[in-house]
Amino acid sequence: MKRNTIYIILLVLVLATYFGYNYIYQDHRDISTENADYTLNASDFIAEFINDSETAQTKYLNKTIVINGDITAQTNNSITLNNSIFCSLLESNTISQDSIVTMKGRCIGYDDLLEEIKLDQCSLTKTN
Amino acid sequence: MKNLIQIFLLLITLSITAQSKYFTKTGNVTFEASVPSFEEVKAVNKNTTAIINTENGEFAALVLVKGFRFKNALMEEHFNENYADSDDYPKATFKGEISSFAIDDLNGSNQQKKYNGTMTFHGKTKSLSDEALSISKNADGSLKITGNLKLNVADFDIEIPKIVSNKLSREVDVSFEFVLNKK
Repeated sequence: MKRNTIYIILLVLVLATYFGYNYIYQDHRDISTENADYTLNASDFIAEFINDSETAQTKYLNKTIVINGDITAQTNNSITLNNSIFCSLLESNTISQDSIVTMKGRCIGYDDLLEEIKLDQCSLTKTN
Repeated sequence: MKNLIQIFLLLITLSITAQSKYFTKTGNVTFEASVPSFEEVKAVNKNTTAIINTENGEFAALVLVKGFRFKNALMEEHFNENYADSDDYPKATFKGEISSFAIDDLNGSNQQKKYNGTMTFHGKTKSLSDEALSISKNADGSLKITGNLKLNVADFDIEIPKIVSNKLSREVDVSFEFVLNKK
C-alpha cells in the first residue's frame, strides 16, 4: 500500500516536470504553418492603413496574414509588396523581380516614419 | 516660362532634400535585462527603421515592439503581454539629434558623437541627453551607427512582479546597430 503511494507521488512528479518543462520551454509560433487569420490583396490591405492606420494596426497586429501583391523591391532577406508592405523573410530570398506573389507572415505594425506596414517571419506560399 | 523655372527650381530642391537622408528598415536593436546565473532575458529586433538627416544630424528610429524576438517563446509572450503591453503600445520611438554632426568629416573609422533626444516606449516619454554613439562611413557610401545605453524600467512605468524580481534586472542594456543607405 505504502509502495503504491510512493509510485503515485513519483508519477505525479515526473508528469509535473514534463508538462512544466514543456510549458516553460514551449516552441515559438510557426507562422508558415499556421492558418491565416486574414487573406487579402495588397492594395486592399494598404487602403485600410491609409484610411485609419491606428484601427488597422489594432486589427492586424500579431495576426497571421496572407497577402497577394506585386513585388516592388527585394533584398537578401526582405520583399516589399506594392511599395508599402515590408516583409521580412524567414529564409533568404531567391525569387526573381517583377512577379506577383502570395506572402504569408505576421503583422508587427505600421511604421509611420516610412509609411509602411511591416510583417515578419514571412514565407512565400505561391508564385504565379 | 516662369512656371517652368519654378518647377525646375522645385525639382532641384526636392533632389537636394532627398539626397540628405539616409535610412534603413532593417536596423538591429537588442535589449538585455539578464541577471547572472538566471536564464538570459534578451531580445533582438532586426526590423528597426532609422532615418538620419545628414544636413543637420536629426535622427529618428522606430521599433515595432512585437518584432522583438526572444529565444524562449514563453518569455516573448510575457514580455508582450505583461511588460511592454505591445497590443496597446505597439511602437517604441526615438527622436533626436546628433551633436556637431557633419557628413563630410566621416570616414572609415569610428567617430564618437553625443546625441540628445526623447525616447517613447510603453506610452512614456523619457529624454536622453549626452548619450554616446559611434558613427562611420563605409566604403559603399552607407553610414554605420552603433551605440549602447542603459534604461531603467521604472522610467517607462513597467512594474516587475515580486515573483520574478530577482531574475530580472531593473536596468536594461540596450544596444543598436544601424547601417543606413542614401534614400
